[in-house]
Amino acid sequence: MNGALFLGWRYLIHHRFKTAILLASITLMMFLPAATRLMVADSATALTARAEHTPLLVGAKASQLELVLNALYFHAERPPEIPNQLLDEIHQTGLAIAIPLNTRFHARGAPIVGTNLEYFTFRSLKLADGRLMGLLGECVIGANVARTQGIGIGDSIVSSPETVFDLAGVYPLKMNIVGVLEHTGSADDDAVFVDVRTTWVIQGLGHGHQDLESATAGKAVLSRTDASITANASLVQYNEITTENVREFHFHGDTSGFPLSAVIAVPADEKSGTLLRGRFQEGTVSGQLVIPSLVLADLLETVFTVQNYVILGLIMLSLATVAVITLVFLLSQQLRHGEFFTLKRMGASRSFIATLVASELGFVFLGSLLLASVLTWGVRRYATEFLLSFMTF
Amino acid sequence: MRKTILIAIALLLVACTDNEPAGVDSISSPGKPVVIASNYPLYFFTREIAGEAIEVGFPTIEGDPAMWAPSGEDAGNLQKADLLILNGAGYESWLAFTTLPDGLILDTTAEVQALLLPIENETVHQHGPAGEHSHQGTAFTTWLDPRLAIEQARTIMQGLSRLVPEQSGLFESNFKALKQRLTQLDQSLEQAFAEMGEKPLMFSHPVYQYLQHRYGIKGRSTHWEPDIEPGTREWIDFGNLLRQHPARLMIWEEAPLDSVREKLLGMGVEVLVFRPTGNTPESGDYFTVMERNLFELTSLLGEDGG
Amino acid sequence: METEWSGNPRGRAALVAEINISGLSFRYAGEQAFEMTLSDFKIGSGQCAAIVGPSGSGKTTLLSLVAGIQIPQQGTIQVGETRVNELGESARREFRIQKVGQVFQAFELLEYLSVIENVLLGSIISSSTTDETRIRAGELLDSVGLGHKTHSKPAKLSHGERQRVAVCRAMLNHPQLLLADEPTGNLDQSNKQNVVDLLIRQAKAHKSTLIMVTHDRSLLDSFEHVIDFGELTGARV
Repeated sequence: MNGALFLGWRYLIHHRFKTAILLASITLMMFLPAATRLMVADSATALTARAEHTPLLVGAKASQLELVLNALYFHAERPPEIPNQLLDEIHQTGLAIAIPLNTRFHARGAPIVGTNLEYFTFRSLKLADGRLMGLLGECVIGANVARTQGIGIGDSIVSSPETVFDLAGVYPLKMNIVGVLEHTGSADDDAVFVDVRTTWVIQGLGHGHQDLESATAGKAVLSRTDASITANASLVQYNEITTENVREFHFHGDTSGFPLSAVIAVPADEKSGTLLRGRFQEGTVSGQLVIPSLVLADLLETVFTVQNYVILGLIMLSLATVAVITLVFLLSQQLRHGEFFTLKRMGASRSFIATLVASELGFVFLGSLLLASVLTWGVRRYATEFLLSFMTF
Repeated sequence: MRKTILIAIALLLVACTDNEPAGVDSISSPGKPVVIASNYPLYFFTREIAGEAIEVGFPTIEGDPAMWAPSGEDAGNLQKADLLILNGAGYESWLAFTTLPDGLILDTTAEVQALLLPIENETVHQHGPAGEHSHQGTAFTTWLDPRLAIEQARTIMQGLSRLVPEQSGLFESNFKALKQRLTQLDQSLEQAFAEMGEKPLMFSHPVYQYLQHRYGIKGRSTHWEPDIEPGTREWIDFGNLLRQHPARLMIWEEAPLDSVREKLLGMGVEVLVFRPTGNTPESGDYFTVMERNLFELTSLLGEDGG
Repeated sequence: METEWSGNPRGRAALVAEINISGLSFRYAGEQAFEMTLSDFKIGSGQCAAIVGPSGSGKTTLLSLVAGIQIPQQGTIQVGETRVNELGESARREFRIQKVGQVFQAFELLEYLSVIENVLLGSIISSSTTDETRIRAGELLDSVGLGHKTHSKPAKLSHGERQRVAVCRAMLNHPQLLLADEPTGNLDQSNKQNVVDLLIRQAKAHKSTLIMVTHDRSLLDSFEHVIDFGELTGARV
C-alpha cells in the first residue's frame, strides 16, 4: 500500500474518537437529505399506489381527505357515517362491486376494519395462516398486529371502549382470531378485519343474550304476554360470539340504517365508473363519490413542499457542519506540524505530505459515503412502512 | 388447493350407501367445480342435474338442516365452494351470522317469491331438550310442493350452466328428466290427496304448509316432537283443537312414540308418517322417500275407505 | 540485552563516506535571521565525529545542510561521491532516504504507529517496505533489546526505549551517514553515555560515518573527531 495512505489510515485508527465524530457528522450530512427525499418519494409512491388501486370511494358529504385517509389507511380521524343502505343502492346500479367499510373501532390500538370477503380479493391479501372469518365475532389480523401483539390463531382480541366511561352501547367484544395475513407493507398489516356486522354488534346495534323463552331466563324476565317478553337489567348479554351462542345474536331495527364509514366501489369498467359518478352528481344516489388518487395528489403536493423546506434547512445545517469540520481539520494539521517536519526531513516530498493529509479526509469521506449508503438503503427498505404507520392510528 | 377443498368437503359428507352423498373414497378428480347444498332435497336435485360434471356436497348435519349452526370452520369450507345452493325463504337462518362472498349464493326460491307462504304463529309450544325454536316469517319447506321443487331445480340448472357453460346441454337434459319425475310425483300426490276430499288433517309440526297449499289440505298444526311425550296441558289443548278441527289423521315427520300413537288412536286419530326429508334419509333418495310417503298415505286412506 | 551486530548486513555492501565541507556559508532570512560561515573541515570515512558549541552556533543547521534538507548559499558539502549542495530537491530527498539516518533531538516518533512501524518509517515514506526490511527492523530492535515490544505504541515506552527505537529507525536503510542531533536530551549522565555508546557501536557495526551534535563536552572522549563550533564558525544570530 502507498506509504502516505498507510500513514493516513493508521492516524485515523489511532484517533478513534475524533474519527468517529467526523464520520458521524459527514454521514449525517449526506444521509439526512438523501433519506428525507427517498423516504418521502417512496412513501408517496406507496400511498399513491394504494389510492390508484382504489378506483372510487363513497362516503358522507364531508372532508374528502378525511374520507380517503380513513378508508385507505384507517386513519383515526373518522368521517361522518353513511347508512348501510348506500351499499345496496350502489349494488343495485349494477355498475360496480360495493365493498363496505366500518372503521369506527379499535382493539389494542389496532383499527378494527368491518368489511366483507370481497375486500381480501380486492386488495389481493393472502393468508399466512388460518382462514378468513366465517362467523360473526371472528377476525383476521394483519401481519404487524400478530407480530407486535404476539397473538395468532386461537387467541382472541377484545375491542376497546370508545371512552373510559362507556356505559351504554359500545361494549368490549371478544373476537377470536382465525387467520393471520401475509405481510404486505401497507396499512392492512396493522388492522383487525371482521365482518361489518360484527362492528355493529360492537356498537350495540346487535347483541346476543340468553334466550328469554327458555326456562332458565326466569329471573331476567320482567313481564311476559302472549305476544312479547320484556327483559330486566339482569339479562346476561354475551360479550363473545361462539358457535354455541351465535344463534342468539340478532339485530334490532332495520339494518339498512346501520352505519358504515365508507364504501369502496369497484366499477366493472371505465364507462360504468363514469355512469356511477354521474348518479352521484345527479343526486340519484346519496353521499359523495371521490377518486382517491386525485384527493391524495393534493395532499402530496403539500408534503413535497414541506420536504423541500426541510431539505433546505438540512443543507444549511450541512454547510455549518462543513465549516466546523474544516476548522477541526485545520487545527489538526497545525498540531501535526512537527510530524510533517520530521517526515520531510526524512525525505518525504510535499506531495507525500499532501497525500497523507488528503487521505485523512478521503478515508473519512469514503467511510461516510459507505455508511450513508447503507443507512439510506435501510431507510428505503422500511421507509414506506414507517411513514405509513403515521397515517394509521 | 382444489384437492384440499374436495377432501374437506368429503369429510363433511355422510358415507353410507351408494345413493348417499359421496364419502372420502369416491372423490374422484380434482379440477371439478365444487357446489354445496344447504339441505338434502337441494343436494339431490343438484346431483341429478350436475351428473359427473360437478362435485356436489352437503354438510354433515345432526338433525334438521334448517336449525344448522355452522362453526367457523364450516363457514370457511362453504367459502371455498364455487357455488352455494340455498333454499331461500328464510330456510338458512345461519346466513345472518356467517360470512360468505356475495357472488357465491344461489337462492333457489328467488324467482318464486310470490309463491312463498307466510307462517301463522301457532300458540301450542313445547319445551324440549332439542332446544326452543319458534316458527315465524315465511314457510320454507318448499320442496314438499313438487311444482315449486321443479322451479328450484330450474334455478339450480341455470346456476350450474353459468358455472360450467360447456356442460349446459347436459344440465338441461338432466333437468328435464328430473322435471318429468317430479311432475309424476306431483300427479300421484294430487290423486292421493284428492281422495281425501275435505277431510281435515292434523300435522305434528308446522312444516307442511306447501303440501297443504298445493293439495288443498285443511290442516292444523301442533308443535310436537316425535321423540317426546306431550304434557298434560298439550293433550288438553290438542283435545280442544280436535273438537274444532275433527281430524282422523295426523301427519308426523317421524314415527312418534308408541304411547303417543296409542293415545292418538284412542282419540280416533291415526298416525301417518310423511317424511319431509330435509336431511339425508337413512336409505334411498328423495324420490324413494316421497314414494314411501305416498305409499303410506294411500295405504292409510285406503283403509279409511276414501 | 543488546547484541553485537556482526558482519556486513545481508546482501548489502557497507557504504562508507568521507565528509568534506569547504567554503560553506549559509544564511537564513526569516523571522529569526541566521547567518553562518564555516571553516573547511573533513570527517574521515567511518569516523565518529562530535560537533560541540554553544546554542545558536549553527550545529543543527550544519546537520540539516549535510543531510540536504537545506542548501548553502556558498560552499561545497561532499558526502562520499555525492555533492549534496548540487543536488535538486528531489535528489536530495532521495539522498536522505537512501543514504542518511537521522536521530532527532526529540526522537519524534509517530505516536500512531507501533514501534516496528516507526523503525520502518523510512521505507514507508519511500513505499519500499519489503519482507527483508521488516526482518531487518525486527533484528535491529532485537539488537537494542526491544524485540519484545515491536507492536507496542511509543506512549508505552520509557524515554530510553524511545531513544533506542529512534536509533533503530535511523539504521534501517544501512545509512552511509548517521546524523544525531542532541540525542542525549534530558537524560542523566550514565544514560547519556549509554546513548553515545549505542550510536558509536551501531555506526561502527555498519561502517557509517557518525556526526553527533551535542553541547555536553563530557561526552567527547568517545569520539575520534571533535569539531568545536565556537572556534569554527562565525555564526551570527
